[in-house]
Amino acid sequence: MIEIVLAVVFLPFVGAALAPAVYRLLGERTAYYAAGVAAVCLALVTRLYTAGVGLDGGTRYAVDWVPALEVSLALYVDGLALLIAFLASGVGVLVLVYSGGYMHGEPGQSKYYATMLAFMGSMLGVALAGDLFALFTFWELTSLSSFLLIGHYTSADDSQYAARKSMLITVAGGLFMLAGFLLLAWAGGTTLIAGGDDSLVATAGPTIETLRSVGLFVPALLLVGVGAATKSAQVPFHVWLPNAMEAPTPVSAFLHSATMVKAGVYLIGRFRPFFLGAEGGGAHGGGAAGSRGSGAAAGTGGEGAAGEAAGEAAAAAASLLPEWSVVFVTLGLATMTVAAVLAVAATDIKELLAYSTASHLGLITAGFGAANALGAETGAFHILNHASFKAALFLVAGIVAHEAGTRRIENLRGLRHDLPVTAVIAALASLSMAGIPPFNGFYSKELLFEATYELGHELGGTAWLFPVVAVVGSVFTFLYSIKFLSLFLGDRPDGLGHVHRPPVSMLAPPAVLGIVVLAVSAVPNTAIDLLVGSVYDSTVPGAAHGFSIPFPPSKLKPAVIMSAITIGVGAVAWPQYDRLHHGIRRVLAGPVRANWWYDNGVDGLTSGGRDVGEWVQTGLVRTYAAWTIGATSLLALGGYVVGEVGLPALSVPPGMTPAIVLVLLVAVVGAVAVTAAPSHVAGVLTLSILGFMVAIFYILADAPDLALTQLVVETLVLVLFLLVLNRLPAYYGQPSPGRALRDGALATLAGATVFLTVVLSTSATPSEPLSGVLVERANLPPGEHASVFTNYGGGSNVVNVILVDLRAADTLGEISVVAMAALAVLTLIRMRTRGDTR
Amino acid sequence: MTQWLLAAVLGLLFALGTFLVLRRDVVRVVWGVAIISQSANVYLVTMGGLAGAAPIGDFRGETPPPTDPLVQALVLTAIVIGFGTTALALVLTYRVYEEHGTIDVYDLGGEGL
Repeated sequence: MIEIVLAVVFLPFVGAALAPAVYRLLGERTAYYAAGVAAVCLALVTRLYTAGVGLDGGTRYAVDWVPALEVSLALYVDGLALLIAFLASGVGVLVLVYSGGYMHGEPGQSKYYATMLAFMGSMLGVALAGDLFALFTFWELTSLSSFLLIGHYTSADDSQYAARKSMLITVAGGLFMLAGFLLLAWAGGTTLIAGGDDSLVATAGPTIETLRSVGLFVPALLLVGVGAATKSAQVPFHVWLPNAMEAPTPVSAFLHSATMVKAGVYLIGRFRPFFLGAEGGGAHGGGAAGSRGSGAAAGTGGEGAAGEAAGEAAAAAASLLPEWSVVFVTLGLATMTVAAVLAVAATDIKELLAYSTASHLGLITAGFGAANALGAETGAFHILNHASFKAALFLVAGIVAHEAGTRRIENLRGLRHDLPVTAVIAALASLSMAGIPPFNGFYSKELLFEATYELGHELGGTAWLFPVVAVVGSVFTFLYSIKFLSLFLGDRPDGLGHVHRPPVSMLAPPAVLGIVVLAVSAVPNTAIDLLVGSVYDSTVPGAAHGFSIPFPPSKLKPAVIMSAITIGVGAVAWPQYDRLHHGIRRVLAGPVRANWWYDNGVDGLTSGGRDVGEWVQTGLVRTYAAWTIGATSLLALGGYVVGEVGLPALSVPPGMTPAIVLVLLVAVVGAVAVTAAPSHVAGVLTLSILGFMVAIFYILADAPDLALTQLVVETLVLVLFLLVLNRLPAYYGQPSPGRALRDGALATLAGATVFLTVVLSTSATPSEPLSGVLVERANLPPGEHASVFTNYGGGSNVVNVILVDLRAADTLGEISVVAMAALAVLTLIRMRTRGDTR
Repeated sequence: MTQWLLAAVLGLLFALGTFLVLRRDVVRVVWGVAIISQSANVYLVTMGGLAGAAPIGDFRGETPPPTDPLVQALVLTAIVIGFGTTALALVLTYRVYEEHGTIDVYDLGGEGL
């Protein structure tokens, strides 16, 4: 099976690599090649499914990746992974077929198909990743391919802006997620996510204990949460999604409704058993696991008793709302409502669908956030339902835009006369989106209502806001869904030109999705039995259970009343849609809009960065030197103060002969003379005095090699200086007293630091200096020691042997530096005389 | 052993070098860098100990032990590299003068701090 799993992930990348070559052969029919690759992936995923891999508990496959770091490419197959893989490959086939019609005559097609396939591979990788680093890598690859696809029209500014925006937000979020992953990997001692006995999910209890003991549990949760929220366009990171609609419509349908944005909620679902598992396994709320277990068990029975049973058990354990729920229910419901309101304010059909997507992702997030069985059911089921109706609606929007030539809502009406089949699909999908029974969107929304009602019932107080907000958000969802449907109703406006019939390649994919909507609507429990049930299993901690949807409801549950309120209020508010639309638009100005923050933030960073750069990078040696020397001195002195070092006693060290003292004093006099030199020539000559004194110092310090080198170099430098100074002007005046004072102060600071450092470092003598080894080994007859120096180095001068033998490569590098300098000198002088410059 | 005198000398050399690096005349900046690198070399050699024979030939059984060959090897490299950079800096100075007609950093890039 591992071959199949690997093939599912890597086949699309191979397909992507071949796409440009195929495009040369096939031209626009590359769409069908790409769809074929996707179909093979779909078949492979189906093969996994029919083999029953991962349906009863996940299965993990591992291939060594970086064995030295214990990073393996672990792939993990379970219900959730299979569902996302089905979406990525299945919607992939449909969208690529649809692209064949939609992209007709568009520019950059070979790039388009290659990127689409690469995206599909990345998404399959995200779905099947069983390892934190593999997950992160594929995650960022989806961001990258999304960037390329949003920026498909490379000459349009809007498209570039949108691509950058999505890239900035999703990649930045991915980095937050990586930080969270590192915390988890540190605490858990493993990078495997789920499956087996050694994965994070399996060891959730102790891992969370470790995290809590250092206070990093909530940070880890939030970091992973930011990653999920940016990818899934949750408030306030939703701003990139509407702009992403600059991409060609098939891209919007594929990436920005059915798959990529699902990565965020996938992440939430994937880590849900981990973060909630600790509630049972760890010290916190020991009863919670039991209550969830019984709730889930009751859910198996269905028949509406699930809610009550879970409610009672949960109420018994109503110790505290886990941080998980605080974060994700709040985030999800806020997104669901805000994005639904914004969708009502939309003027463009794709914008409406974009906000609607964010809103429905919020619904899934809120579902996964609720720490009860119903929440997991909501999330698991709505991932499928949303993908089916929203991808269909995007493809419908693409047909409308393509055939009617406009996407403005106010210009579109009565399309059913021209697009009858499309209208039927749109009706199915938008009624499902609105949450009207008996369509599939209704079922998952009903589950959310139950989950939030449970939260309110269980916790009381402000938690009752959860069901209220859920209903408010759903009312707006109802409104914009009906608005989308109304594009097809009524009479044709006069302004609408001739509307073509779409080609079959564009009509069939949404029709297939429409059939999926119908099928799931008709037999929801079959869908659950087939796949959604094991998705649910993937997202709950502990043992696996199934669940079912009782429809029609056997009795009047609170959720049914909530649905009735939603539809009732929605129907009443519908005539006021235009007033609502304009009202919301009026409110949306300035800092109320998240976009305002994004735009000002990015502009501020850009101009701020430029300003800081100009301020720091002056290009003046003086400034750089002053800051570097001053900062280094202060840091060193500060270190001594903090370390509370004491000064050693005054003493005369051995080897400090009168000759050395004399030489050093002359060297200082030379340096003073250099500083005070009235002319360049005087300065160079006194600099030489300093240099030759240093050479004599080396002789006295028993370093003959250094003395020889120093003498040669000093002589050369003197000649060089005199040659160059001959051509330079004499100097230019004294510094102003103020400047001399400031520079003097800085110089004194540097001098004092060096003084202290030398005093402190020479007073501390290591007990066994490294040089002892070298000295010991040198010049000993064979037999006593391995005589490295004489036998292998071929010399008895230890310094020489070090340079030409032990560090030969280093010396070679040094010679190269001198050669480079010589070449540079030659070039600088020759270039001028050739007149190559301005 | 604590090298008080060398510490004072090196501190002075470093201070003078720093002062020269902050001058407006590019030639003096090059001098400053040269002085600073000389004093850094002397500091390294000092760390190897001044008392002791040169690490050449047969020095078994000698007291005190020979000076540290390791720092000497390091400094030897440093001297040669220092020569390379000084030469390059000088020629760059010369080129700057040819291009701009001045080696005053204020004229070239402003006064800075």
